[in-house]
Amino acid sequence: MSKPTDLVQGTLDLLILKTITLEPMHGWAIAQRIRQMSGEVLQVGQSALYPSLHKLEQNGWISSKWAISENHRRAKYYTLTKAGRKALEQEAAQWERLSAAISLIVRTV
Amino acid sequence: MRLTSKFRLRLRSLCFRDRLEQELDEELRYHLEREIEAGIAAGMTEQDARRRALRSIIDIEQRKEECRDMRGLNVIDNAAQDFRYAMRGLRRSPAFAILGVLVMALGIGANTAVFSVVNGVLLKPLAFRDPDRIVTLTTAFKGGAKFNVVSLPDFQDWHDQSAAFSAMACYRSSEEPARAGSSTEYIRVARVSPEFFQTLAAAPAIGRLFGAEEQKSGDSATALISYSYWHSHFGGSTAVLGQRVRIADQALTIVGVLPPRFHFPDQSDIWRPLDAVDRTLPRTSLTFLAIARLKPATSLEQAQTQLTSIAVRLGQRYPDSNKGRSVRVTGMRDDMVSDVRLTLCLLLGAVCLVLLIACANVATLLLAKATSRTREIAIRAAIGAGRSRIVRQLMTESLLLALLAGAAGLIVAAAGLKALIALAPADVPRLAETSIDARVLAFTLGISVLCSLFFGLVPVLYASRIDLNDALKQGGGRSVSGGRSNRLREVLVVSEIGFSVVLLAGAGLLIKSFVALNNVALGFRPERVLLMKASLPASGTEGDRRARQFFKQLPSDFLSLPGVSAVGATMGPPGDVESAGGYWIDHLPERMKSDTPDAVFSVVTPGTFAALGIPLRQGRDFEERDAADAPYTAVINEALARKAFPGQDPIGRNIFAGFDSFDKPMKIVGIVGDVRQWGPARKPEPEIYMPYDQHTSGAGATLNVVVRSSAAPEALTNTLRRRVQELSPDVPLKFTTMEASLYEEVAVPRFRTLLLAIFAGLALCLAMAGVYGVTAYAVGQRSNEIGLRMAMGATPRDVLRLIFKQGMRLAAVGMALGFLGALAGTRLMTSMLFEVAPEDPGTYAGVTVLLGLMVLSALYLPARRAARLDPLVALRQE
Repeated sequence: MSKPTDLVQGTLDLLILKTITLEPMHGWAIAQRIRQMSGEVLQVGQSALYPSLHKLEQNGWISSKWAISENHRRAKYYTLTKAGRKALEQEAAQWERLSAAISLIVRTV
Repeated sequence: MRLTSKFRLRLRSLCFRDRLEQELDEELRYHLEREIEAGIAAGMTEQDARRRALRSIIDIEQRKEECRDMRGLNVIDNAAQDFRYAMRGLRRSPAFAILGVLVMALGIGANTAVFSVVNGVLLKPLAFRDPDRIVTLTTAFKGGAKFNVVSLPDFQDWHDQSAAFSAMACYRSSEEPARAGSSTEYIRVARVSPEFFQTLAAAPAIGRLFGAEEQKSGDSATALISYSYWHSHFGGSTAVLGQRVRIADQALTIVGVLPPRFHFPDQSDIWRPLDAVDRTLPRTSLTFLAIARLKPATSLEQAQTQLTSIAVRLGQRYPDSNKGRSVRVTGMRDDMVSDVRLTLCLLLGAVCLVLLIACANVATLLLAKATSRTREIAIRAAIGAGRSRIVRQLMTESLLLALLAGAAGLIVAAAGLKALIALAPADVPRLAETSIDARVLAFTLGISVLCSLFFGLVPVLYASRIDLNDALKQGGGRSVSGGRSNRLREVLVVSEIGFSVVLLAGAGLLIKSFVALNNVALGFRPERVLLMKASLPASGTEGDRRARQFFKQLPSDFLSLPGVSAVGATMGPPGDVESAGGYWIDHLPERMKSDTPDAVFSVVTPGTFAALGIPLRQGRDFEERDAADAPYTAVINEALARKAFPGQDPIGRNIFAGFDSFDKPMKIVGIVGDVRQWGPARKPEPEIYMPYDQHTSGAGATLNVVVRSSAAPEALTNTLRRRVQELSPDVPLKFTTMEASLYEEVAVPRFRTLLLAIFAGLALCLAMAGVYGVTAYAVGQRSNEIGLRMAMGATPRDVLRLIFKQGMRLAAVGMALGFLGALAGTRLMTSMLFEVAPEDPGTYAGVTVLLGLMVLSALYLPARRAARLDPLVALRQE
């Protein structure tokens, strides 16, 4: 299981932003989606998830809204803001560069 | 848009905290529920799923805290919350709060008061323009002897040959009878050389300074007066210029008034140019004080180098007087305060120790409080308060306590400062300027914060190591305190005892010195002796005659008064020696040398020995026949007889003294007992007494009439004043008692002894409160164990012994460490000790006994409580 500290700093933010590009989601669903999409490799615990969500909201990259969830209970849904979309592009580009660079090193040696 | 929305969010965080909290709760609860559902869906029983989810519930609280942190909400919010919490905490235990604030206020107040004196006397710049550039020039001899006086020819050579100074001046000051209008009184008159005011950068408030001619002539009848003298004697009117002030029998024209608060040197009120006699004084006559102003680009070291080479040249040129003589350049402020610096540093060190003890005391209080709050702290930690959060909260409490104490300490300091100034010796320079200023306030704030760090850290150290599991498992709060907090407590008490030992040893040594100083055989009997200083407005031969007549008639006149048993008059009463110089036996040497032995010169009238109570050992006192036209006579003291006439009879031998009639032989007619001429702290030195009739010109027209009375001498004052006024109305008088002037002489030792004793007493009380508190606490903690012991057959005696043993063990360790500290510390005060060695065993034994007794009495109450424990009750508490 991947603990939050094992994720490269800022990576979780990127994952969250990416996950909610398509639709507003609540915290638990975001965690599930990340797990599924990563082929069960990345398990985001709530311990890392919620502080991250609050930070992103504080940054103005996502906004939140209470809504009724798929199991008919109130849940807090997070939506990507315009600023968040821009930040995602930057973060993603940054990530591409970084992972490409790391891949280069790891493969050549 | 981003900035504003960010601000909006932050605002929302702050304003709608409760709603946000609820939302946070709900959000996390939702997550928990989904986890459980997911678990069930994955095939777990509901119970297992719930347990799995719940296991992270403590974790969730932690997450909430982090979420709050992420919102940047916590910093401001926590500070406010910590503050509220701390206030509530202090209010909830007012006894603790009051005790803590009181103890710290004493410590901080004492420190502030002493620091304001240190600040006013040692640290503040002098009240002259560019005071850092002003230096004093003093004479130094090979071998280390240092005198603050210089000779005028030396000074003149330094002045003419050095290039390091923009101005250089010398001066002397004396108390003289001055008459303005109808009143005559003694005031300080300074004689100053031309560049005096330039050196101090002082410009007159009105009028002018001395002109070049007035400076040169040597008999100029001009004067400058101080601002305060202008206001008290001339009503502050500008018409003062051109008016007269009389000194002795000379009328001086006032040409200017100096600016307010300018009284340099020695509280002078009148300044005059040097006189003609001053200008003819030889190199051997070290009479003047010298100051100079460094040129802007010149350093003190450069100036020193330059003057040293000039002094070497002078030594080669005038080997008789200047061989081995050099000059020392010192910053003026350093020179001014050098006498009191050590005393003030000692006091500052002492109050620092008191403060440390106070801190240790409050730390034990806080520690006890933290221990009883272990569970509370553990719960707070468990429900998500991070370690830093708990530390911050505990520190806020300490800080609040320290700030309250600092504020209370300022009140203590204001009162303490008043007492300090009242207690301090009159001649401490710049003491009057001392006040609680911005720097002192900053100091108080600084030490308050420092203290809070110091005593706040102790409970924090303890609390931050609380083992959550243990703490939460324990039933009560009682047996929670493990070895750690007890160890901390013991360390605190040991250091309290150690610091008190240092202070007690210092105070003990000073007290012993002071007692020795007061019990020293002075060689005369100061009790019931009245001193009356009187000056005749006389000069010249006619003046001499008048003075001789006056001081002959006065004693016989006074003797007829009831209650007066003996009367005499002297130039310099013991402790206030006016003159000293070389002497020669039998005949004068062909060539004068600078290494002639020295003696104190005293000029007295017949009857003075009896009036002062100085025993006549051999020969006779002066009599009427020792008149101006009779062969010169002298009386010497035993020290001189021992030194100059070993194994011989001095009576009838001739002696020469470097006084006014230097070349006239004086026949020794008597030997008297030794007197401590320079005050109680210095051994008697050889002394030559000469009759006033034969030395009127050297002694001058001012004498101290010595009146021994059979009752309280002060009661005679008015009668004597009336008598003198009948005889000669224009004679200024000043009364004091011999005992009062002796009291002044030991003012500095008394001041530091008293203060150090007060601080040591304070330290002792605080340390004993610490011992008591810790023991009482330990007894409370161990009541179970003690109950068990008693149930198993221990007698109350055994229990007493147990408690005493533990207390005394701490005391022994504290004392041992304290003695080491005291041995190192008291070495620094060697120069303040009188006939006591810094490692005086008697003092240390006394300290041991005193401290031992105090510790025993501090242990007694808690020990007795332990011994009286009812084992059944104690055990049932479990």
